[in-house]
Amino acid sequence: MELGWNAQVSRRCVLRGAANGFGALALQHLLVRGGLAKRAESPLAAKAPHFAARAKSVIFIFNVGAPSSMDTFDPKPALNRLAGEPMPESFGKVGGQFTDGSAPILGTPWKFKRYGRSGLPVSELFPHVARHVDDICFVRSFFTRSVVHAPAMYEVHNGRLFATHPSIGAWATYGLGAESENLPAYVVMPQPEGTPEGGTSCWSPGFLPSVYQGTLLRPGPNPILDLKRPAAMSAGRQRRMLDFLQQMNRLDGAEYDSEMAARVASYELAFRMQSHAPEAVDLAAESARVKREYGLEQERTRDFGARLLLARRLVERGVRFIQIYSGGGPISMQWDAHKHLKANHEKMAGHTDRPIAALLGDLKQRGLLDETLVIWGAEFGRLPTSESGNGRDHNPHGYTMWFAGGGVKGGRVIGATDELGLHAVEERCSMRDFHATILHLLGLDQHRLWYLHNGRHEKLTDFGGAVIEKAFS
Amino acid sequence: MLLSTIHWHNGTVPGARIAVLFAALLPFAAAAQAADAADQRRRLQAVRGFWAFQPIADPQPPATASPWVRTPVDAFILAKLTAAGLQPAPPVSKEKLLRRVYLDLIGLPPTPEEAAQFLDDRSPRAYADLVERLLASPHYGERWALKWLDVARYADTDGFERDGYREHAWRYRDYVVRAFNADKPYDRFVQEQLAGDELFPHDVEALIATGFNGAGPRHIVGGNQDKEESRQEVLSEMTAGVGQVFLGLTVQCARCHDHKFDPIAQADYYRLQAFFAATDPADRNTASTDALLQHEAAVKAYEKRLVPVRKQLKQIEEPYREKAMEIKRAKLAPHFRAALDTPERDRGEEQRRLAEEARKQISPMWYEVVALIPDEQKARRRKLRGRMHALELERPDPAAAAFAVANRDEAPPTHVLKVGDYRHKQELVAPAFPAVLGSFGVDAGQSARGRRASLARWLTAPEHPLTARVMVNRIWEFRMGSGLAPDPNNLGLLGGMPTHPELLDFLARKFIALGWSVKAIDRMIVLSNAYRLAAETAAGSDADADNELYRRANRRRLEAETIRDSVLAASGRLNRAAGGKPVRVPIEREVYDLIFTEAEPDNLWPVTPDEAQHRRRSLYLLNRRTVRLPFLANFDQPDAMTSCAVRSRSTHALQALSMLNGRFMQTESRAFAERLRASCGSGVRCLVDRSYQWTLARGPSSEERRLAEEFLTGGQARLDDYALAMLNRNEFVYRP
Repeated sequence: MELGWNAQVSRRCVLRGAANGFGALALQHLLVRGGLAKRAESPLAAKAPHFAARAKSVIFIFNVGAPSSMDTFDPKPALNRLAGEPMPESFGKVGGQFTDGSAPILGTPWKFKRYGRSGLPVSELFPHVARHVDDICFVRSFFTRSVVHAPAMYEVHNGRLFATHPSIGAWATYGLGAESENLPAYVVMPQPEGTPEGGTSCWSPGFLPSVYQGTLLRPGPNPILDLKRPAAMSAGRQRRMLDFLQQMNRLDGAEYDSEMAARVASYELAFRMQSHAPEAVDLAAESARVKREYGLEQERTRDFGARLLLARRLVERGVRFIQIYSGGGPISMQWDAHKHLKANHEKMAGHTDRPIAALLGDLKQRGLLDETLVIWGAEFGRLPTSESGNGRDHNPHGYTMWFAGGGVKGGRVIGATDELGLHAVEERCSMRDFHATILHLLGLDQHRLWYLHNGRHEKLTDFGGAVIEKAFS
Repeated sequence: MLLSTIHWHNGTVPGARIAVLFAALLPFAAAAQAADAADQRRRLQAVRGFWAFQPIADPQPPATASPWVRTPVDAFILAKLTAAGLQPAPPVSKEKLLRRVYLDLIGLPPTPEEAAQFLDDRSPRAYADLVERLLASPHYGERWALKWLDVARYADTDGFERDGYREHAWRYRDYVVRAFNADKPYDRFVQEQLAGDELFPHDVEALIATGFNGAGPRHIVGGNQDKEESRQEVLSEMTAGVGQVFLGLTVQCARCHDHKFDPIAQADYYRLQAFFAATDPADRNTASTDALLQHEAAVKAYEKRLVPVRKQLKQIEEPYREKAMEIKRAKLAPHFRAALDTPERDRGEEQRRLAEEARKQISPMWYEVVALIPDEQKARRRKLRGRMHALELERPDPAAAAFAVANRDEAPPTHVLKVGDYRHKQELVAPAFPAVLGSFGVDAGQSARGRRASLARWLTAPEHPLTARVMVNRIWEFRMGSGLAPDPNNLGLLGGMPTHPELLDFLARKFIALGWSVKAIDRMIVLSNAYRLAAETAAGSDADADNELYRRANRRRLEAETIRDSVLAASGRLNRAAGGKPVRVPIEREVYDLIFTEAEPDNLWPVTPDEAQHRRRSLYLLNRRTVRLPFLANFDQPDAMTSCAVRSRSTHALQALSMLNGRFMQTESRAFAERLRASCGSGVRCLVDRSYQWTLARGPSSEERRLAEEFLTGGQARLDDYALAMLNRNEFVYRP
């Protein structure tokens, strides 16, 4: 028997399929016959991975609207040399969303410097993150298959250009459960001004049971929807009510029916969550120095810093997957610099540079970086040509995302784009490769993590991607 | 080779059912590598023996003298149990049977009066009479619609980032309710949904039915979308729908390659898709000329009412829009400004391009304008926008139209697509039925019109081995908690063998013989003894733990919608009105904030003004693909992105939180407490009796009465808490 069967997914849903790693046919009911689904443990209880994991949890920083790679982490000296000139035909077709490459090349407004022992280059947009390059592995050759935000976002989140499949956070939670019983396993923190264009579908559990959904978490006294008791309901009063409820539930067979028992347990967990979750999101306990590091004292970094600090607190408490968005809602709060690239990227990087650096340093200092995979990414990058004279259109043909921690070897660069940053030309990496790599770092085999849905063994990477081994070996 | 393809890691013997399946698979597997036509034929030959592709047999119920056997269904069930050395569980109590059959057939718990009518009826026909009442209830169709719309992946919006509202989709939803209520013959039901427009051209009801073809999600994106790609997506959705819903085969797997397990070649998939080649989703007018004229006049009057408020808003905004433009103009790069400053007639080509670009650059976003408006004016503007949105709620409903399909004059050619990619066209194919099933003498039709009609005729041919089996299996799963064939959307080789193939065929034959009557099959199932078994399992006594042989009833959690409806029934506030436009209930701030928009986010969820509408059955709530109501989503309401044959049922803490603290539960539990108070005053005995009647349709046991009285005597607030506890109880949210 393979590892990681999710016992508590009720046996009645197994028709639709539920198995992780068992790997054959629609046989789930046979597992149930073996008594596995009888256990009353939480479906989110931590499960053993398929093989030794490098990372235990993930913090995925998604930059909504798409930062430009050639202006951040993938320097292209030729860009400024050829600025104002037309794109040489030898680079192939320039497929943007609103432009066709007939506009001239736009130089980068920022200088690059080399940092760390590795001497890797980072632009002036990320001077704080730059100090951590020796912990960062840059993959400069990712590509997505759509030039439009939402479909490309879906691809980064679930491997398809559609919102029909579970997101990677849901898959990770399905495969591994969580270390924490008192918090949701998969937490989502969007930009307060609004969601990414892909909407809530970005963190959808798809056809997986709702227990694997991404739970929205907000700073403040009511971090999770319906967590807070109504004003008149004290904890003591609710406890009395629950005691009464559970006494009745025991009459309903909770002692010998695993499903009934699981439901009784879910109320106890909910009750505990009401005190644990506010504590988990309460930043008051953090030292002044930590708050300063994350930028909580400055207007422009306060929101993102607070969310990243929260992410660290959640990782400490065993939350499995944290999806956090820089950008969302109005165009002015996205990285989508079709015009005014300079002002836009300085603003957005200004929100995030310092907090991300603080997170990396903080995790490292606490010994958590080794087991926490931090991902910085987006739905695509931006074109070397100009739009509106001072902006850049979308570029899914080749762009940079980076990994830190979680067993990844820092100070590395994998893959390359062409001389102007238009196409990924070396070691091209698809989203399947991206997902296969994340699962691998979590100790999950992409081919053994599946769910039977409508007669098909659905997997995050579908027919499979190539694990980017150079990132960690 | 097949076995390696399916990652068979497990060395243990997987059980008899699988062994049978493997025996069926092996000949196919051996031929799976078939390359040429002769091999293909051999391969089909090899797999034609698979049960689902064979004609429906005519099995007779096993002979038995057992007094337990009440109906033919029981004879089939008992035979298997006996062979396995098992005894059926004892019958369920009359009270529990009552609640079970209500929840199953109409999705609502019985009222105390309805309960009394049955419980006090001592005649031997009491239960049969009750079943007839329920089959005749207008709620019966609503109950079935919940199931059918899951399978059809129905929603009121397109899905994806734009998630456009389908303002006529609800008519398809209501059509489904009506069809089940009227016991519309299933063959006709299939024909209308696939091809109502072609087969019954003057029947509005049949036109509405074709909404089925476009019920799935539709990806409409901004920017330079590839039209051909979008078209291919629409066709894929339509084809997958037929496969999963009616055929019970995963034909969609053959979009990219020959099916790995079922005898569906990639070409079969595209031949099936070709039936839709001329079909477009389309709203089609069904209103009379008079109604259209009336509507036009109503819209004009409505627009007129909007004029003053729009004018006032413009008056406030205009100066600041200009100011915002000036500011942006001042920040333009010199060459852009120069182009703009040059009079239009003096601009050269380059300057014209620059000026065009510059105009785009200085056009302000809404928030750039609002930021400049002084606070006092801003407050006035906010009020005005509020008034505008209030007026917008009175927008006249659109003239009646069907969310339907329309045929093009010519059917574009259909090609096999390499790995499903529309850019890699291979050979041309014409509409044709999957080779493994044959045509049953139905002409596939080649002209643009009538292709779907052919497909529908073929599906409903009495000798079709799948259509009837698939539907009776759905009915069985719906009532008994698990399908005779385990996956109702997949009767193919990977779907698993049926536990009772003879029973499945017996029901399928009856289904057709009785005029494809869903009610007839429902009746046969719920009147059986097998349906009336107790669900309880004594500790450690279950030899058939997953209940494959239906030794006992399956206790299962109610669907999200049924929980919500049951709560409203208990609070006495359920609005039982049927049909009509979907209702927007209030949503939590946190949910509202997640609605994607780049525009001013102040009217993204116009709540239905009439509060009584908020208490309608859940079936009638707006099902917006990207705005899931947390209460329903937490209890595994499907996302309507793919067909859902059987819902998952997970148990987790977020459910408990919404059941304890959520606004809906708070409101309804207080109303429930108020209802009790109004009915009983402070009479504790009465409170306990009525609370049990209204939630569980039974009286309390002595232990339950003791617990309740002990709790209720703890103070004034206790009744509110008591009411909430009763609605949270396991028994309340489970089908008994």
